[in-house]
Amino acid sequence: MAVAILDSVIDELTAICGPDHVFTGRSATFNRARVPAPFPVHRWAEYIPSAVVLPSSTEQVSEVVKLANRHRIPVVPRAGGTGLTDGAVPLRGGILVDVKLMNQIHELDHENRTVTVGTGINMLKLNEELRRHGYIYPDDPASYPCSLVGGRIGTSGWSLIGARYGHTRDLVISFELVLPTGEVIRAGDGGGPKVRKSSSGYQLKHLFMGHQGTLGIATEATLELFPRPEAEFSMFWAYEDYRDAWRATGELARSGVATLAGVVLFDEHKIRYLRRDDEAYIPQPESVRAVVACAAYGNEDEVRVGAKRLLRIAKASGGRYLGDEISQGDWASRHDRYATPQHGRARDGQVALMSWHCEDASIPYPELPAVSEKWHAIAASLAERFDMFDDWGMFAYTNGAFKPWGDYLTEIDIGVWEMKWDEDAWAAWVQAKRDIAQVAIDHGGSISACHGSCREGEVDLVPLELGAGFEVMKTIKRSLDPNNIMNPGKYLLDQAYEEG
Amino acid sequence: MAETTASQEATNGDGAVRALVEEWRDVAYNCFSSGHKFCREVCPVMQVTRDERHTPTAFHANVVAMDKGHLSIEDVAEDYVHCTMCGACELRCPNTLFTGDFYRFRQRTIDVVRAMRTLAVEQGIHQQNWKRWAELTDRWGNEPVLGWAKETSGSKVRAWAAGLEIPTGGETILFADCEAAFRRPSVPRAVALILRQAGVEFGLMDQQWCCGGPMWETGYVEIAEKMATHNMLDWRKTGAKRIVCLDPHDYITIVENYPKLDQNFDEFEIVLAVDLIAEQIRAGKLELSTPIKKTVTYHDPCRLNKRLGVWQSPREILRAIPGLTFIDVDHVTQWSYCSGAGSNLFVEKPELTAEISRRRIAKARELEGGVEVLVSACPWSERPLTEQGEEQGIEVMDIFELVAEAAGFEV
Amino acid sequence: MLGFRLSAQKPSEAHRVTDVVVSRFEHVFEVDPALMREHVHQQEIPNWDFERIVASRWEHLAWMHDHFADCAISAEELLAEIEAES
Repeated sequence: MAVAILDSVIDELTAICGPDHVFTGRSATFNRARVPAPFPVHRWAEYIPSAVVLPSSTEQVSEVVKLANRHRIPVVPRAGGTGLTDGAVPLRGGILVDVKLMNQIHELDHENRTVTVGTGINMLKLNEELRRHGYIYPDDPASYPCSLVGGRIGTSGWSLIGARYGHTRDLVISFELVLPTGEVIRAGDGGGPKVRKSSSGYQLKHLFMGHQGTLGIATEATLELFPRPEAEFSMFWAYEDYRDAWRATGELARSGVATLAGVVLFDEHKIRYLRRDDEAYIPQPESVRAVVACAAYGNEDEVRVGAKRLLRIAKASGGRYLGDEISQGDWASRHDRYATPQHGRARDGQVALMSWHCEDASIPYPELPAVSEKWHAIAASLAERFDMFDDWGMFAYTNGAFKPWGDYLTEIDIGVWEMKWDEDAWAAWVQAKRDIAQVAIDHGGSISACHGSCREGEVDLVPLELGAGFEVMKTIKRSLDPNNIMNPGKYLLDQAYEEG
Repeated sequence: MAETTASQEATNGDGAVRALVEEWRDVAYNCFSSGHKFCREVCPVMQVTRDERHTPTAFHANVVAMDKGHLSIEDVAEDYVHCTMCGACELRCPNTLFTGDFYRFRQRTIDVVRAMRTLAVEQGIHQQNWKRWAELTDRWGNEPVLGWAKETSGSKVRAWAAGLEIPTGGETILFADCEAAFRRPSVPRAVALILRQAGVEFGLMDQQWCCGGPMWETGYVEIAEKMATHNMLDWRKTGAKRIVCLDPHDYITIVENYPKLDQNFDEFEIVLAVDLIAEQIRAGKLELSTPIKKTVTYHDPCRLNKRLGVWQSPREILRAIPGLTFIDVDHVTQWSYCSGAGSNLFVEKPELTAEISRRRIAKARELEGGVEVLVSACPWSERPLTEQGEEQGIEVMDIFELVAEAAGFEV
Repeated sequence: MLGFRLSAQKPSEAHRVTDVVVSRFEHVFEVDPALMREHVHQQEIPNWDFERIVASRWEHLAWMHDHFADCAISAEELLAEIEAES
């Protein structure tokens, strides 16, 4: 709910950020309310900020946050607004701090192999520049062409090629952060901004990864530089049976191939869904029921050798190779993998424009088949009750940084016919989110591998998932943010301020 | 299931608003429901302003917001000025790029921007410089490309052809574009000399008027249709069957808008000069024997590359020029490039166009190999690019000027 | 034909590929238009625009490969090597 902000506060914000970078107009606020996750568009007005600022420096952000503390006005940080857990959605109006103007490359350090950037920069644009120097910053989510470094820190992002290069928390070396009270710290490993591993003091970098903007605003980050890969290898294998594919996934993940970047399992529902409109899968015979995709990156000599090992494993697993065209084309399309609304089908089989829910639980490998069955049942029950949900199948992706054999980012994609939201459907949806999250917990997993878990529904189970850890979370929140300024209402953290 | 309609919820109960929302609701929801935002980083305006109000995402979300009664056209009219209609967003959007052909349903950001700008004009919300530009185009027949005071009438539009003795009419006519004809006459002169040398017979219109493009783009539909109607009458009057466009803006305006206004449009074949000239070179009809010892790079004009998918002909032409060192930047990388001139952005927001062009020139300057010349194939882009090029020491040439030089002509 | 002619823009007849998919151009699939009658309707897309989208997709994917690595290694080639070695 947008609370009116005093004119005098707007004047103060203008004095800090400049008249061209403070906005209160309706188009400025309405267009910074949502993120791609299914959004209750029938209640849009409840989620708009009261004012928007586009700061150009850490100092400006610090001053804005201090001002917010003085006046007890909420602050909501926003990077790309491409997240999938509503982290950037204002719950109580307030001042939205949009970091997009801070998108410069500040320094390229060839000796230390780092690049220092404003957190408003996008990884694809960064890599277009780094390429000239033979480097790559390999943080590669499905939102690679549009998410920003600030959001990657805020969500503790996952990378499609994390099994090889690590995820955001492994790739960001240190960053400048404005705390909820306005002080500026450098969060890293120890004190030196380019130190990768330290045991000096508490390891603060990990605390400030994935906080969904509830513990401050990252303004500048120092990032890891890898040599640009000489070679990429990708292979897609088809299976007649989901369990065969699941076993093959495990074998490939445990292969020990150092250049292995990721393994992706497509379940039967996903293949049925892709047959509807994906040119790679439409012509496939009925015997193709599940698919395993796998990729490797590195120097050409090592990729070739590693690839042969992976191919031998895949061959022995009973799969059928789908060919180079699909293997290369489909892999290349994985770097921008959000879902097209036209994939939606109503009960009558007609195309309907659907928004996309993407679950992202971390599930231990042995639990994948059981979790899949339960999640599909939840989706089916929703679809049965309301002609506005469509099960688009499941993916499981290797989740461990540098260690592909552990848990999997497990995704069920559900199309949601957003134009049809009403209170009943929304309530059922929220319950389904809780049920999905419960399954993840019951099977020893985590509600979220990488999006975060502060969405309506799933957030209710965070205390259950973390157990006594949730008390620690509240303690930290209360001590760093005494006035509950920073993205209030997220993660049930209002509880941190309740007496008794 | 509660399904809200615009008529129930739009606080702005105006019929025109409801009509726009009805027409564009599916396209708007297609964007809104997906929330991809892959458009944002390829948008030349967004690269500069970083303001979400200027994103293609917002352009569509506003329609949804208007449907729900949250926003009015007054709230957003000025936001829609911030667009060159380069087409990067709607092409890059996975809803077009991955499934637009499969569903025969693609993103249409340009059409949405156009519809909103048209609605604003219809509701009396004008951008002052665009309004003036439209009024003068209406009065003179051609756009005021020489400034507010220098008339660019249909009777003066062929002045660039002085001394070339080009006939009026004939089966093939050369459509020379306002900006080129009045402000960069070396371009139509170059094309005329090249075509003549290649043995292509052609004439000029009796009185060429503005193609109407910028009028459609900025919301002045009646004036646009007046221009189009006049031009088609002129073609018929002078026996034209094939229209050769040297400017991609004219070509795309004609093929996208003229057929709806004329039942017999199939009589005409519309051709890009860059394709025609590439064909002549391929067929050996054009001798390019004067070497040009320059290091050049090529700017893919937005309407040619992103909107029409034409990127091979100009490169073929450049590779045929003797002595040239051509340092290429591929056409997909150039999806995120722009001069900033499109849809008359430079008329309303000159500082934004200037910054977009400044960055484009900087990219040319930073290329390894010491680029001296940026070659474009669009006179509109050449206006701000030339200005910024002067600041940064990069010469800006039109591709036809270069070809003419290689063919031994002085333009 | 080098340029644009209106009559050349109309899509040709489609033939059926699966119960929900048809095809007009070789190697290019389309949704059965019957599935877009109720909730969302198809647009009129001239052939030149359609071809632009298809070509652009392949060009984009090639660009993505090149963005991440200098070369793509063919599994078909390596499988042939593995065959030969066995």
